[in-house]
Amino acid sequence: MKTTQNILKHIRSLVPADRKVRIMNVCGSHEHTIAFSGMRTLLPESLEIIPGPGCPVCVCPESDIINAISLSTRDDVILVTYGDMLRVPSKEGSIRSRGRNYRMITSPSEAVALARSNPDKKIVFFSIGFETTTAPTAAILETGVPDNLFILSSHRLTPTIMEVLVKDQEIGIDGFIAPGHVSAIVGANAWNVFSEQYGIPTVVAGFEAESLMLGITEILIQLKRGMASTGNVYAGVVRPEGNVQARAIMDRYFEVADVNWRGIGHIPASGLELRDAHAMKDARKVFGLPEIKESHIPGCLCGTIVLGKAYPSACGLFKKACTPKTPKGPCMVSMEGSCNIWFKAGSA
Amino acid sequence: MCVGVPMQLVEINYPSGIAEAKGVKREIGLQLMPEHVLAVGDHVIVHVGYAIEKVDRKLADEIWETLDEVLQLMDEEENSA
Repeated sequence: MKTTQNILKHIRSLVPADRKVRIMNVCGSHEHTIAFSGMRTLLPESLEIIPGPGCPVCVCPESDIINAISLSTRDDVILVTYGDMLRVPSKEGSIRSRGRNYRMITSPSEAVALARSNPDKKIVFFSIGFETTTAPTAAILETGVPDNLFILSSHRLTPTIMEVLVKDQEIGIDGFIAPGHVSAIVGANAWNVFSEQYGIPTVVAGFEAESLMLGITEILIQLKRGMASTGNVYAGVVRPEGNVQARAIMDRYFEVADVNWRGIGHIPASGLELRDAHAMKDARKVFGLPEIKESHIPGCLCGTIVLGKAYPSACGLFKKACTPKTPKGPCMVSMEGSCNIWFKAGSA
Repeated sequence: MCVGVPMQLVEINYPSGIAEAKGVKREIGLQLMPEHVLAVGDHVIVHVGYAIEKVDRKLADEIWETLDEVLQLMDEEENSA
């Protein structure tokens, strides 16, 4: 506690009196710690900690969800995906409400086991997430999967979306708290682009409140000194070069693609699709899945919230029509969605 | 979904292994890490069933302190659903 108090005192002394400082976190688990610890209420008013695109479920395109629902209604298919994805709404409903043959999994290895025990079915793994979750999907392909297992890839790249945010002058980011476990894969060096090209201090942090506050402190020190570099207060897990073996395996199976982000739009080179050499595993190609135009959920600010342009409390649906039990948008569904976290934390 | 859980390796049959946390054992994938860096007794961060990085015992304990709070909240949510 004494340490926490000391860090807070240090933070207060570093925040400039004459301007706002805006630091963005890009990880749902970071936002969870920040919201539940009540950290924002202890920080100076001129220091904003903004939740950014840290929720892969929230940015998964509606088109992929509708295709997943459609696949699950086929007699010859069993669709499998992570739990949060089952409840994400689309204009066709959610997988749970409108799907037929679907299962929740907690690991890609369960998709492999299901394919082996159901040789007469086609198992489609709706695989979503940032780099941390892409790597395990690549791992099952590396080990070898049964012929009846297919991948519907909706993987997204964290550094790319962060660069989009930096270029958006409306947001005005002074510093990034980089995600701990994405960094374990991509490496702390992956964030050098922000300090070197954009002059934005970026610090990798762990998931404890103290680690996050240390990350904030390091960013503030850099800002005060007028410098920018990549810091790492989660060095017990994150190496500068990251997990080289995991990235090599990912690279064998996935290639960078231009993709849509829900509520945000089309972003070049921001997603991962299976390489052509593995087209026989690619559910989009094997089943000829169409690209479906995204609809807008009336009143939902999820896309704006993911970009850090609005807090959940700015949405007219928040805590009213939209709650974790009656989610209108994806940000209220996922445990990593800012709206879900702010709802459960009671405040931010 | 990006929650990584520290677990201790109790058996290695590369590219898989058995890891334990809080008295629960499960099979995990090890192929995202080089075989030569792994040893029984090591703590690793496990994400959706795959070890993504090694971690020392002290940090593993600290991460669990935070996770315990998250798990409690998940239980509360499940019970109220």
